[in-house]
Amino acid sequence: MISTRYVIKRLVLLIPVLFGVATLVFSILHLSPGNPATVIATQQADAAEIQRIEERLGLDDPIWVQYVRFMVEVVQFDLGESWVHNKGEPVTDILRWKFPITLQLAVLGQIAGIVFGIPIGIISAVKQDTITDHISRIGALTGISVPIFWSGPLIILLFAVHLDWFPTNGLLSNGPLPKITGVLLIDSIIKGDIVMFVDAAWHLFLPSMVIGIYSMALISRMMRSSMLEVVRQDYIRTARAKGQGEKITLLKHGLRNALIPVVTVIGIQFGSLLGGAVLTETVFNIRGIGMLLVDAITDGDYPVVQGIVLLFAVVFTMVNLFVDLTYTYLDPRIEQ
Amino acid sequence: MAPDTGLAAPVRRLATAAAAGVAVGLVAVGGLTLDGTLRGATETTFAFGALALGVGLLGWSGSVMAGRGIENMQRYMDTGSDWTESDSRRAMTRIIGFGVGVMFAASLATALL
Repeated sequence: MISTRYVIKRLVLLIPVLFGVATLVFSILHLSPGNPATVIATQQADAAEIQRIEERLGLDDPIWVQYVRFMVEVVQFDLGESWVHNKGEPVTDILRWKFPITLQLAVLGQIAGIVFGIPIGIISAVKQDTITDHISRIGALTGISVPIFWSGPLIILLFAVHLDWFPTNGLLSNGPLPKITGVLLIDSIIKGDIVMFVDAAWHLFLPSMVIGIYSMALISRMMRSSMLEVVRQDYIRTARAKGQGEKITLLKHGLRNALIPVVTVIGIQFGSLLGGAVLTETVFNIRGIGMLLVDAITDGDYPVVQGIVLLFAVVFTMVNLFVDLTYTYLDPRIEQ
Repeated sequence: MAPDTGLAAPVRRLATAAAAGVAVGLVAVGGLTLDGTLRGATETTFAFGALALGVGLLGWSGSVMAGRGIENMQRYMDTGSDWTESDSRRAMTRIIGFGVGVMFAASLATALL
């Protein structure tokens, strides 16, 4: 069983992690060139106008005052207001509606990666050095090597432009996005709108696949090597010697032990899925948190950038905590 | 000499690194002021100190969270690396102290000058 002490220890360690991330984001934004006040001001603005903006945003305060103010606000879950996008809107409100879009994309990509990656890895290990194994290994290597900014346009060209099977961009064919939970597929179910659900799934299929390709390739490679190691263990030989069927031996005794490193990989690369969502959203013109991040960096919208990076850090650390708990469940010795 | 136990050793390590950070921070503020404004110099120095603090904090918590796992993995893989969780924590404590020192020096320069 997973002890409460272990979970509390991991949750307490989130504090220095988030403090460190917040400090890093603050320092990087202040080291980057350019003055946000000049970006916010119109092109005709004079020095007095820029100074007024600096005073209003507190940018004229000494940097340590800005740092302390930022940290105090972060602790109170106050990420400030956007300076450029939806000017004056609280960053938490912006993230509230943008993040579910990106999370939905990343989770669908992860599901695609797990659903296809694990069976491919198992089949590849069981049929080691056969043509099936070679094909899946080449596929995995290709999936890992091809970057999203290249695979995305190629997939759009093939499936959306030439074959016309899927839409090229957006999340719905027409109409505004419903604002219930922010997760389009769930919202359409809550509204009982089957047409919207199918339309959303149709729009989300290609971007999820683009994100999922890398995940699938990595998981299948890891699953293959982990399974190959496990099937050589004594307890597998013993299970076979006792006359247990091959499928039960592999799936009951082999899979659980082989899954431990795979679960670790799944957790670690969820962060890269969120990062991948930034590129995928740009390629597929999906107005999620990824596109917002790109725009906010370009426009020098510090509060939005800080909010997004902090949110990514929280999600990443929480996913890793969940992964740790999962493999503590799979192998209780890890807790020790 | 017996090794230090308890909080004394980490605190001393932190204080030594912070003192070094203050010295480096003041030199950096001085040097950067020659090339530009005092405000720009203190901002850049403070931001570099914060960078060190952020890296140190992430490294420290990473070492505490995953250090023993990494040690076990290295032992299992027989990599022959001398990396240990406690060494990493010590190094990160120094980086944290240094970062705090630099940030303090920049703040001090802002307040005094």
